[in-house]
Parts: sequence; C-alpha cells; structure tokens
Amino acid sequence: MIRIVTLEAFDPTDIQALARTLFQAFGLGTEHAGDRALPSDVEQDDGRYDAEALIAEVAPVKTFADDKVLYLTSVPLALRPGPLGEPPCWGFAQYGGEKAVVSTSRFPARGVSEASIDAWRKRLARESIHAVGHLWDLHHCYDARCAMHPSWSPSLPASPEADLCTFDRDKSERKIRLAKT
Amino acid sequence: MKGPPARHEEPKEQLPAVEGIISDAGELEPGDRVVYPNQGVCRITGVESKEIAGQKLDLVRMEREEDGAAVLVPKGKVPTIGLRKVASGDQIEGVFHYLAAQYDDPELDWKVRHRDNADRLIAGGVLGVAEVVKGLHALSRIRPLPAKEREQYDNARHLLVHEVAVSLAVPPGLAEDYIDYALMPPTGVTFKLKPPPKPVELPSRPRRKVTRTDDEDLGLDELGLDLELPEVPGAEGETPDAAAAAPDEAGALPALDLPEVPDVAAPQGEADELLEEAEEAEEAEAVADEDEDDLPVRKEELPQKKGKKVVPPARPEPSPHTGAPDKKKPAPRKAEKPAKAPARPVRPERAEAKPKVEKKKAATKPAAKKPAPKGGKKK
Repeated sequence: MIRIVTLEAFDPTDIQALARTLFQAFGLGTEHAGDRALPSDVEQDDGRYDAEALIAEVAPVKTFADDKVLYLTSVPLALRPGPLGEPPCWGFAQYGGEKAVVSTSRFPARGVSEASIDAWRKRLARESIHAVGHLWDLHHCYDARCAMHPSWSPSLPASPEADLCTFDRDKSERKIRLAKT
Repeated sequence: MKGPPARHEEPKEQLPAVEGIISDAGELEPGDRVVYPNQGVCRITGVESKEIAGQKLDLVRMEREEDGAAVLVPKGKVPTIGLRKVASGDQIEGVFHYLAAQYDDPELDWKVRHRDNADRLIAGGVLGVAEVVKGLHALSRIRPLPAKEREQYDNARHLLVHEVAVSLAVPPGLAEDYIDYALMPPTGVTFKLKPPPKPVELPSRPRRKVTRTDDEDLGLDELGLDLELPEVPGAEGETPDAAAAAPDEAGALPALDLPEVPDVAAPQGEADELLEEAEEAEEAEAVADEDEDDLPVRKEELPQKKGKKVVPPARPEPSPHTGAPDKKKPAPRKAEKPAKAPARPVRPERAEAKPKVEKKKAATKPAAKKPAPKGGKKK
C-alpha cells in the first residue's frame, strides 16, 4: 500500500489524480493518509529544508509491513553536499525503505489553465513514481523517458513521461511480488 | 608417459593488486567492513570452525549489510576471492573525478566488453565498478543496452551506490544522487576535476580477430572460385543474449567451421573436399542471409571494424558464348553463381562425385519443402 501524506494543503483532485497514477505504475493500492505538520527544526539558514532530516523527523502515520509513505510538500529541499557539490533536490527517498518526500518547489507554476494544471500533475506523478521507485529498490535509469531518470538530467524532456521503462517495471513487480505481504 | 600440465599449474599473469585488497585472513577482525566482489559490503562477524566433508575448516563468517545474508569463506581462500577493504576517502574522490570526466570511447565489441566488465566487477576494486557503470552509461547514449548488459549495469550501479554510501557514511539514496550528479551534471554545471585515476589493468587475453578475407583462407583463388562466405551475424553486433546463452551455437555457423587451408596448392583429393565444402558454404550463405533479417539488430547498427572488410575486385563475367569477359553487364550477386561454374577445373572424377550430391538434394529437398497437409481435408 502506498500512503500519501501532505505536509501542506494540496488540491484534493491533484491527490486523487496522483493516487490513480501511482496505482497504475506499481499496481498497489494508494490512498491519502492525511496531513502532517512540517517539522520546523529541519529548516536551514537559507530557508530550505534538509530532506534527509525531514523524513526522519516528520510525525509518522500508521503503516503495515511493506507500506510505503510518500510525503508531499511545497517547500524547497536540500541535500548534503557530496564530493562534487550538492545535487539539486526534487525529493528524497530511503532506498529500499519506507519513507520518501517529494517537493513541488522546482515544478513549473501550476497555473489556472487546464494545460498547465495537467502538466503540473504529470510532473508531480513523475517525481512521486521516482521516489516510490527508490523505496522499491529501483536505481536511476539512463533512459530519459523513464520516471527513474535523474530529475535534473539535461536530457530530460520539458514535460517528462510519468511511466517506468520495461526493465524498471519488471524489477519493481518482482520486488513487490517478493515482499513480505 | 608425461601428459600436458594441469590447468591449475599454468602460470597466471601477475597484475598489480587493487588497493586495499586483503591478502591474509589474519588481517580481519570482527566488526570490520569489507567488500566481497559482486556481493557488496559485508561485516565480519567472526571466525568459526566447522567440519565439512570430514575436513575441519576455519571459516570467516560475514554478514552482507544489505540484506543480512550470511557468507562463510574458508580462511585459506580469503586471499584469492578478491576480498578488499571498503574504499577510502581518496579512492572515492578519485571515483567521482573519473565519473565526471569525459568518456567517449565505449568498447563496441560486446564480447570483449562483457568479459572485461565481468573482470572489472570481480577484481577491479571500486574504480573497476565505476568503470563498468561509466562505460555502459556511455554506451547507453549511443544505443539502448541489451538485456544482459542492462542487468550488469544495474548490478554495477547497485554495488557502487552501496560502497559509496558506506564509505561516505550517507544513505544509499543520497549516494546515488552524488553518482548521477557526476555522471549527468545539470545544464550549466561544470566541475573542477583532478586527473582521473589510472584505469584498472585487466588480464591480457588472446583476442581472436577475424582478419581473413573471403578468398584468402580457403585458397579459392587457386581453385578458380570466387565465393562469398556468409557474414557471421552477431559476431560483432549486439546480441549477447543469444550468444551468451549458447556460445557454442554461435561458433557452429558454417563460416567459422571451415578448415584452414595452407597457402600451397592443395592436392587433388583435398581440393575436391574443399569444393564440396565451398558448395555447402554457398548454401549456408543463403540461409544466413535469410536469418540475418530475423536478428533484432539492424544491419546499419553493426559496428564496422577498420580494415576488416575487404571489397573483392570486380571480376569480369565470362560470356557464356565466347568465354570473353563481359564488362557491360554487372550481374547481381546470386546470379553470379551459375556463371562461376565454367571457371572450375574440369576433372573426370568430379563428374562421378557430383551426381551423388545432386541425388541427396533431390531426395531431401522436396521432403523439406512439402507443405503440411491442411487439417480440413481428409482422405
């Protein structure tokens, strides 16, 4: 089961659309598990939130074995700098774990037109599939059409597809089949 | 009588050991973290004695960190399995500078690539794993990876992510972001890179290169034949699945099974055998041409090796009436075959041997081409 938890107010229709897409991508039931407050102590001096600390500090929701929790927020997230600098953060997931967070701060504006809202929802779905994919042990994919392609990659199209490639789909299905529940 | 030396007695090529390799089981202490090639990061939990098949063995017990799987290695085997310490900070820095460096030279021969990558994963250390990831990533920009290599790429990435994560003490998700930030930097981002470390040295193997041309090896010029041998589909192309699954089958194609013929003129009996084999090669060519269309790799995608393809000089066709070369009429490839018949040496004993072959063909071909009876009609 995938449980979506919002850390701010989101449009319910957006959440419904996201739940549908996640169900199609992974074949797992998806529901909105409520709202939680954003932990304020993980905010950095530059106004961004430490993604790693955020999912460690946020109030938990009730889960069962193999449940995955996806937190949605609109605040900008930050990661620890690596040997070559800090990678841009669209979200963060515990690889093979339970919790992931996706930020909409880097998305294009949601706007009010149907097209812009659709594009925004599609991007939200893509980043959510990416984060939940990491929770199911998927690595990044070289295929720019796959949702597991790195979100900052220059080869990513402006409106990327919210779908997994064949290899990642097979791998995630295998992992889900082998899950405890 | 002394036979050939056993395989295990053959001298092995000594390569410089990878940094951090554990050459003595005495170096291991409980709680140490080591990298088991192709398995990942393990934690030493202790040494225990067990009796296995009547032998008392001292075994080093390890636990794979990823899933807690237990690994038992005999103490005496520790130096030979490539067990090594987790990469140090300097090594990891070198790996990132290597990943971010330019790389435009992926190995195109899938056999060499697959074998080298397997060697790198086992004996190349963390840099070897990074080389596999980078090499296959560079190749994926040219064309999608075949299934086996896609899996190898994923496995290598998995090993690299976990080793980087352990070495830098970050979660694996973050380690993968670091790796891909170096591999695929965002637009406008440039790194100040140090010279990347020296690539991993691999054991040199005799590489079998098919350099012979169509006519040279069979000595067909001397026999007056101008046969075109079939190209082996998949010899250089991207079909590791088929050939990896059945490497013997790939080698069983008729073009590879042709015997090597010395440069000197063959005796008459041998020449007859060669002629028959050449006829079989002609038939196999037709089959190979048909099969080529079924391959998943398009012909234009196959890499062309320099200096391998030798275009035979255009041979003038002898006129059927005069025997003089006909320069105006360029006959198609298949239409050339009947025209080559007069060029063969005429021998009386050949006339005896030929009908045998024809009889065989007459006996086998109609049976093979006979259409299956349709189920609707019953006599």
